[in-house]
Amino acid sequence: MQRNVLAQRQQTDREDADLLKRIQRSDQRALGSLYDRYAGVLYPFTLRVTGSHDAAEEVLHDVLVHVWEKSSTYAPQHGSVYAWLVALSRAKAVEKMRAANQKRKQESESGGQRPASTADAKQPGTETIVALKGYTEEVRNSLKSLSKLELRLLELSYYEGQSQSDLARMLRIPLGTIKAKMRRGIQKLRQTSTEEAK
Amino acid sequence: MTTKPEERHAQLELCIPYVFGRLNPGNRKQFEAHLSSGCEQCIRELSGLYEATALLPLLLRQEAPPSGLRQRILSRASSRKTEPQRSERPSAQREGPVTPTIRPERPWYRYAAAVMGVLLVIALAIFVYELAGTAANQEKKITELQSKLQLNDQALAVLGARKLEYVPLAGVEPGSVFHGKILWDSSSWNAVLQITGLPAAADGKCYQLWMLKEKKYIALTQFDMDNTQAGILKTLTIPEGEKGAIEGFTVTLEPKSGSAEPSGSIFLRGAK
Repeated sequence: MQRNVLAQRQQTDREDADLLKRIQRSDQRALGSLYDRYAGVLYPFTLRVTGSHDAAEEVLHDVLVHVWEKSSTYAPQHGSVYAWLVALSRAKAVEKMRAANQKRKQESESGGQRPASTADAKQPGTETIVALKGYTEEVRNSLKSLSKLELRLLELSYYEGQSQSDLARMLRIPLGTIKAKMRRGIQKLRQTSTEEAK
Repeated sequence: MTTKPEERHAQLELCIPYVFGRLNPGNRKQFEAHLSSGCEQCIRELSGLYEATALLPLLLRQEAPPSGLRQRILSRASSRKTEPQRSERPSAQREGPVTPTIRPERPWYRYAAAVMGVLLVIALAIFVYELAGTAANQEKKITELQSKLQLNDQALAVLGARKLEYVPLAGVEPGSVFHGKILWDSSSWNAVLQITGLPAAADGKCYQLWMLKEKKYIALTQFDMDNTQAGILKTLTIPEGEKGAIEGFTVTLEPKSGSAEPSGSIFLRGAK
């Protein structure tokens, strides 16, 4: 990864940590800054998981309120502040999606909400988050090393909460292959995320 | 951490399903207990996995959230305080053993509120000590103290507000000894009025506080003085319909029944 891009990412992480400290001191402007930095990437992410604009908005709202009220729960095991935001968003979005699916199942098969713009959402766009500009493009380039299947498995597992057994059944691929491909995919993701340390 | 190597390896295997939310509740609880015990290897592994999976959203086409969301979040934040730093042992899920704790810097008014609280307790202790006489007198005094306590609680709530605004009030006559101040929480619009030096109002009269907004006077509250040096402390709420840009405050002497518009002499005035 290019040195200037990595330096920019490290700078972003430092700034995020500073924003979190300010949030712990009840600085609302810091919360606004964190929103401005990441809402553009967290919103499509929660939309991708929940499949509903309303639910995505609600999840993003809950995540930022959680950060405001419980910023002290951030811990080193969560990675960077951005990684923590993503993990929080995913957990809340998956929870909401499962609740909605359960409700839909109980009501009937008909009338459910169509997953919103799933196909569109999977296509990388030309927009960039201000905070991660440059780094985002580098990541997209780096992740081209993931095969289509590896990426698909990661997406289904991460965005839709599918288990490896479910994936094996759904895609009619042996469970062993699923496990190996996912492990490989995660390994490539990790290589990309840790390249800056090299 | 004294975990055996083979056990540590087994726990490491749980990191991926944990991040992907695939652990059953029992295993998750066990794994979180392991994390809270301080396994640096697992913490590093988890951190790396969270960083790695956080790359996936970067592949999605970015989309701005609905325009009102930012304001909704900030409004919610302004109505709810950030969680104080916890002193109790945190749950395993939420915190690892080396969680950074950032001590919040308390704003001055919180210290002021704390000092006022201590003074209040001392004042109450003195009052209670001095309570004597008949049961009726004691009961009366207790009622007064309760009112004062309630008043002080309300005042402390205002002083402890995050967004506190303040207008000093001064006598209009040259060399006047009257002075006071009004402070209000611009979130709840609860206010505290403090006045010192005004004489007690004549029979049939009272003082009235006015808020100046868009060149118009809005009646806020009436009060009287008791000729003590301590002055008065009063809490009030700025009416729902009158929130907004406040230009100043005025205190006039009015009939006991109050006036719709200032009609008597002006004693105190303050501009924002």
